[in-house]
Amino acid sequence: MTAITKSLAALVSCALAAGGLTAAGVAVLQPGTAQASSHREAPLISGQPEYDATDVYAFVSPDKPDTTTMVVNVLPFQDPAGGPNFYKFAHDARYDLHVDNDGDGQGDLLFRWTFKDHLKNGDTFLYNTGPVNSIEDATLNFTQTYDLEVIKLKHQKAVARAKLGSDLPVAPSNVGKASMPDYQKLRDQSVQKIGYSGGSTAFAGQADDPFFLDLRVFDLLYGGDMSEVGNDTLKGYNVQSMALQVPTSALTESKDQPVIGVWATTHRQTADGDWTQVSRLGSPLVNEVVIPRKDKDKFNASSPWDDGQFLKFVQDPELPKLVEQIYKIKAPDTPRDDLVQAFLTGVPKLNQPPNVRPAEELRLNTSIEPNGSPKRLGVLDGDNAGFPNGRRLSDDVLDIALQAMEGELLGKKNDLGDAVDENDQKFGGSFPYLALPSSGSDAKAVSKSAGQSLLNGGSGVGSSSDDNMLLAGSAAAGGGAVLLLGLGFLWMRSRRRGPRVRRH
Amino acid sequence: MALRPSLTPTARTAAVVFALAAGLTAASIVIDASDGPGGPGGSGGQDAARALHPAAARYEQLSGDGLARQIDAMQTHLRAEPKDAESWAGLGSAYVEQARTSGDPTRYPQADKAFARSLSLEPRDNDVALAGRASLAAARHDFRGALRDADKALKVNSYSQGALAVRVDALVELGRYKDAYTAAEKADSLRPGIPVFTRLAYVHELRGDPAGARRVLLRAQDSATSPSDIAYVSTALGQLAWSQGEYEAARRAYGTALRAVPDYLPALEGRGRTSVADGRQKAGIRDLEAVVRRYPLPAELAALGEAYEARGDRSKARGQYSVVDTWIALARANGVATDLDSALVAADHGDVKEALKAARAEWDRRHTVHTADALAWALHRNGKDEDALKYAKDAAEPGYRNAAFLYHRGVIEKSLGDDGPARRHLKAALDLNPGFSPTGARAAKAALKELGATR
Repeated sequence: MTAITKSLAALVSCALAAGGLTAAGVAVLQPGTAQASSHREAPLISGQPEYDATDVYAFVSPDKPDTTTMVVNVLPFQDPAGGPNFYKFAHDARYDLHVDNDGDGQGDLLFRWTFKDHLKNGDTFLYNTGPVNSIEDATLNFTQTYDLEVIKLKHQKAVARAKLGSDLPVAPSNVGKASMPDYQKLRDQSVQKIGYSGGSTAFAGQADDPFFLDLRVFDLLYGGDMSEVGNDTLKGYNVQSMALQVPTSALTESKDQPVIGVWATTHRQTADGDWTQVSRLGSPLVNEVVIPRKDKDKFNASSPWDDGQFLKFVQDPELPKLVEQIYKIKAPDTPRDDLVQAFLTGVPKLNQPPNVRPAEELRLNTSIEPNGSPKRLGVLDGDNAGFPNGRRLSDDVLDIALQAMEGELLGKKNDLGDAVDENDQKFGGSFPYLALPSSGSDAKAVSKSAGQSLLNGGSGVGSSSDDNMLLAGSAAAGGGAVLLLGLGFLWMRSRRRGPRVRRH
Repeated sequence: MALRPSLTPTARTAAVVFALAAGLTAASIVIDASDGPGGPGGSGGQDAARALHPAAARYEQLSGDGLARQIDAMQTHLRAEPKDAESWAGLGSAYVEQARTSGDPTRYPQADKAFARSLSLEPRDNDVALAGRASLAAARHDFRGALRDADKALKVNSYSQGALAVRVDALVELGRYKDAYTAAEKADSLRPGIPVFTRLAYVHELRGDPAGARRVLLRAQDSATSPSDIAYVSTALGQLAWSQGEYEAARRAYGTALRAVPDYLPALEGRGRTSVADGRQKAGIRDLEAVVRRYPLPAELAALGEAYEARGDRSKARGQYSVVDTWIALARANGVATDLDSALVAADHGDVKEALKAARAEWDRRHTVHTADALAWALHRNGKDEDALKYAKDAAEPGYRNAAFLYHRGVIEKSLGDDGPARRHLKAALDLNPGFSPTGARAAKAALKELGATR
């Protein structure tokens, strides 16, 4: 025995005697699992949510009714707290917003955002090197700018292009009060007039995530108990937003045909330098709720023109069947023409263009006047200026979609929801309407969002009603293109009296 | 644990090896949290709110960063909702990723159970679990199983980024380089992104196109924003540069990786090898010692041993080699297949008969440039140079140029008296990457001298 092996023998006895080396966290081998390198271990996963559109909004601008505002969000769940967190748009992506103004399922106009990174001081990775009082400040070390262009299409081919803006500033991440004492000013500076069709306005940058829902209700699909709902999961989190306000006349086919269909896509550059569509989003919740999980990637890569392939999922959706199976609420009869209208063709006399080809687009009738006091349930509550006629920031699309799924449009009244009825932050009265992003020094924003319960009198929740059933449900999240588990439902049958969600 | 502070580096290495060995025989004492996610639940308030988000993330969106926290959150979620098939699959994938980055193989059986659970809850159309199980099979070097599961996943979801990526891995490791190239190009057109870019780059490299590999890796680096992606991609760039003898570029790339993730072992190892290749032995040995302390596996131990040897410290070198021998012996005794790395190390520094056995076994499983080279070298070390040359030629078949392979081939040809080709290949090895191995490079120079050639 060499000296080495002798000491090894001694050591192994110690190790075995101690018996604790493995438990103490030292790596162990198991038969069949102990392979070293000799093949390149490479990641299967790589979290890159900046390429995924999570929400699209389109509405007639409330303070400028001759214009239409469109918003596309990416990169949700930005945690402003806990250090100098900053977020950016991908610079190797094309973020496109498509407008179909004749209902044929093909885009007629395409707005394209492309971003560039800039580092003022290459020697440091710091986001800012001192207080930032202006987006031009030298202390804002890392910045992004963007170009915005519009492309006119005919039969899906570009026939004209125009640059709407070059090197426009992106609103920075709100890293904290010490760094950015007056964030409102930075926001204002990043709202830019652009010369398009007699005056348009653009904004890109960080904002409070306007989507509101309680993600926890997803858990309930699996038969779990209700413990906590009614909390806005996205409270305190920011998102990257691209917003554009243009004269409506520049979007529509004509005065007589005021319905447009809107959707967003992201293209990513391949290794070969080509561009591949990796994300697509129009109406909230369609990809998440209607499209089966195995086809979500296919949907993301597809175009509305080809949506015939997904028609059956809309006509015969899984969700109501699942609800029936678990919670014994009878699913409406199929085929679901009501959902085809809500999600694919638009609703007749509301937002359905003539000769429409069924295609998943967020359809907006721009001739409907904005509502001075919008209702969160939109069309379901008689407010035709809201979802599914376009989508306003304040529309409670989760509750609307859920109620529609369970037959509200067929006259099957129900009161489903996730008990989150509004965004935690107030929206602005003028473009871009988005609330300012939560600040990095405002960590309490997140803690507020937890710990309330449907049963303990948490906000948004009351009791006593003659309904004998409460269904706090969720049909998944637009904010959740990223986080979709499936669908969750909560159906609580009260032992004595059924509590129900109080609408406030 | 109590043993550790007083140990010298070698002894500490030995201790870790023995911890590994203890694990071989005492697998049952491994804490197994996979039947139901372990650990205390019930975190409340802010933590609970945050913890739920990763649980709800689609698995493709999981990032290598904060994996432990993401795993905790998914375990918490699954404790409450054990029927969530997709989260089980996500948990499995996170375990595989954790094993990859931490080198902790106890994660594999846990991942296995998580995928099985997911598939039993959702046996049909569960592409996420199938893709995850494919990645697990690849990590365990069951490349046929990996290919099978990746294909199954792609049948369900032809856009599955995970399955597309593992499919490339499996084809590469099975030596099907043309198919791998086709698969990588297709994956790039369907789901561009870092997992696919890095695979495509490797296929370029294996097909003898290091410039193409570099171009794709730079693309990947340009796209990387999270620390784990930056570290991974930069390390791949470093390895490519090193293999081309571009030590300055390699050092820069490893530096970038280590700034992103300071304890990223593959980058530390790469930096160590680069320093040794470059004559900065002290710095190189320091890095390699740090690697071996945490990752005492044959290739890493041999790299350190050779660095000691190059410094003239033969007894320290022997110490490392004997740890490799012990590792191999224990592994074999416990039914663990020794792999290519151990075959190569044994051929150079240990039991040449064992080396040949291991290399033959691996060649029987799969015909790749790496198995061909290992078998060639093991045959040579056992005096079978005629056979050896055939395999050495196979190793160059797809166009791949690797300095160690060229060196092996030159030495084999020299033994056979093919002086011309021997000179050519030995010279090519030293031209390509003069520091491919401190001991190998020295031997190559000596052999060239004997052949009457100067470099």
